[in-house]
Amino acid sequence: MTEPVLSVENLTVTYTVGAGTFFAVSDVSLEIEPGRVVGIVGETGCGKSTLAKAIPRLLPEPPATIGSGSIVFRGTDLVGVSRRQLPMVRGTGIGMIFQEPLNSLNPAFRVFDQIAESIRIRHYREMGWLKSFQGGDQPFDYSKPPDTTTVAGSLAKVIVPSGAAEEAVHDRLATRSQFREEVLSYLRLVRINDPETILNLYPHELSGGMRQRIMIAMALSEKPALLIADEPTSALDVTIQAQVLTLMKELIDEVHAAILFISHDLGVIAETADEVGVMYAGRIVEYGPVAEVFRDPRHPYTKMLLRAAPAHYKEDGPLSTIPGSVPNLSRPPPGCRFHPRCALARAVCRGETPPLAPVDANAPADSRHIHRSACYFMGEVASLP
Amino acid sequence: MGRNPGDLVLFIGKRLLQLIPVLLGVIVLTFVCTHLKLVGLCNAVYPHASPEVINACNAKYGAPLLTQFVQYITTLFQGNWGASPLGTPVYPAIAADLPATIELVLAALFLMIVIGIPLGVIAAQYSGRWADHLVRIFYLSGWATPTYLGAVIAAVFIGPALGLPSGGEYSTVVPPFPQYTHMSVVDAIIALNFPYTIDALEHLILPASVLAFINMGIATRMTRASMLEVLPLDYVRSARMKGLGEFWVMYKHALRNALITTTTVLGVTAGGLLAGTVVVEEVFDWPGIGQYAYDAVGGGGSTANFDGAIAVVIIFAIGVVVANLIADIMYGVLDPRVEWR
Repeated sequence: MTEPVLSVENLTVTYTVGAGTFFAVSDVSLEIEPGRVVGIVGETGCGKSTLAKAIPRLLPEPPATIGSGSIVFRGTDLVGVSRRQLPMVRGTGIGMIFQEPLNSLNPAFRVFDQIAESIRIRHYREMGWLKSFQGGDQPFDYSKPPDTTTVAGSLAKVIVPSGAAEEAVHDRLATRSQFREEVLSYLRLVRINDPETILNLYPHELSGGMRQRIMIAMALSEKPALLIADEPTSALDVTIQAQVLTLMKELIDEVHAAILFISHDLGVIAETADEVGVMYAGRIVEYGPVAEVFRDPRHPYTKMLLRAAPAHYKEDGPLSTIPGSVPNLSRPPPGCRFHPRCALARAVCRGETPPLAPVDANAPADSRHIHRSACYFMGEVASLP
Repeated sequence: MGRNPGDLVLFIGKRLLQLIPVLLGVIVLTFVCTHLKLVGLCNAVYPHASPEVINACNAKYGAPLLTQFVQYITTLFQGNWGASPLGTPVYPAIAADLPATIELVLAALFLMIVIGIPLGVIAAQYSGRWADHLVRIFYLSGWATPTYLGAVIAAVFIGPALGLPSGGEYSTVVPPFPQYTHMSVVDAIIALNFPYTIDALEHLILPASVLAFINMGIATRMTRASMLEVLPLDYVRSARMKGLGEFWVMYKHALRNALITTTTVLGVTAGGLLAGTVVVEEVFDWPGIGQYAYDAVGGGGSTANFDGAIAVVIIFAIGVVVANLIADIMYGVLDPRVEWR
């Protein structure tokens, strides 16, 4: 297996608000290799968005604190990176697509300027005009020409097939029209039919779906090694959602970046991700290949979540729900955080936190990519209704 | 859509039409205020004047108020701004003094923009920390300082301490070059006289700083408040996520949107700036219409000059309206969602 682009180990993120401390993310570990899509699914408030923003260190600190753990991105632990160096990791290193396309574009600038700014940041870093990240033992070197064996290299080949923009970078002097052409190429990449017109528009003149496409184009134009999509379709109308999702799926096939896809929608995750992590109350309770997890869930929460998905409501009558409510994360229940709502809960669940253990007892315990569940009674989950 | 150049012309035209009722109101108010109690008071106002002056004064101010007003407004529409009771015409004096005031006000506005706005950004960036508190102490003390006190302190203590001159436009009464524009720095630059340019700037910096310090508070405060509103927004986060440094996130993406409010407020401060010139110009012996206005209302024992006072008020009113018009145009320039109408 190739080196992971991102490897998160035992990450814990807390929010300190007033006198209370909220454990938003507890002990989360995951790895993403180039070209792989890891989905994180969970209900509102389970910490999945906090996890997404913690990785590029985008959370305001304070109130957020990264309590323990590491976020190793291409060999560098981002937890130890200084505030001043953080911008060097973002953009060309880690790109992000946000949930709210309506407000994520600056209302004062035209589409052209916003995408052009991203491309310029990448050009400057490639040319060494802007300081690149030098924090770790494996520094990012943007000055080297794209090399097909690296993630950035394969991305460069895939995203700009015309080669015009690549040459511009090599020549170190992009002419105006070449530059404009590069901006246009990203608008075409996100399937915008009339890019020439869109370029000159302001965000408020665009629809929500269009704005989300621009956001995607903006993130991709920096050729990030890791792309984090934080509920990219959730704020859109259902029809637009489907369009953007189709686009995302197509782009996932084209772009060989490592992708972290956050969603509360099981269907979206099933369609896009290779592996899925199910989050509950700040912890990953089940992890594994998407098909396996969804076909044969081994955690009671996953099972109940799948049952509660609206796809079933016609056959089963009223929508099934999970009894109880999400725990208050300032005082999470001891032991397994799901035990107050769980039909299988016993004394041990109240006392001890179950580890994320392989479902198949014969599998190597240290593998990150096999089906694992954090439940002492994972064998009995299938017996649940 | 309301964003075409034609719409802008229409917008400016409409706003300038609104100037007419504003000016009429201003003229009536000032006229009444200056003339109401004057009937039969020429002797009291000019106790040591010669009989000719008293007679001229009585002839002018003895008539009923309405008659005087009709007479004044008629001459005004003929392009005649009137004359002082001693016969000195108003117009040439104002025409010679106005550029100096414009120079002073623009210099103060420049300082307000290049110092006041970044201070607001810094305060918002470090909100609740010591930098924020320092900035707030700074602008609140400016806000709380009466103009005359600030001007006198600057002229008597700060100026000498910094080795800055505290009076006039140049170190010599008449500079050795023609004064085409009557703006001290501009004239020195036109004459390519480098020492005099420095000299003029040294004379300008203190009165402009006083005016700016006293009027800056609102700009800093509004910048700070709207930056605090803008900073948590999603597009600021997007800008960070692009890999932009904090400086560009602040001064390009956030400030660009925060400035929309600040610009409007800067238009409103025009009134304060112009009013401030009356005291500041008098203290710093700056030959502008502020000083003219001070003399016109009898300040410093000079002879009262009511036509001159009304003329200054008219000019200040035009200044305030035009400043706000510029602010409104800038509002549309900064925010593409605004339509001019």
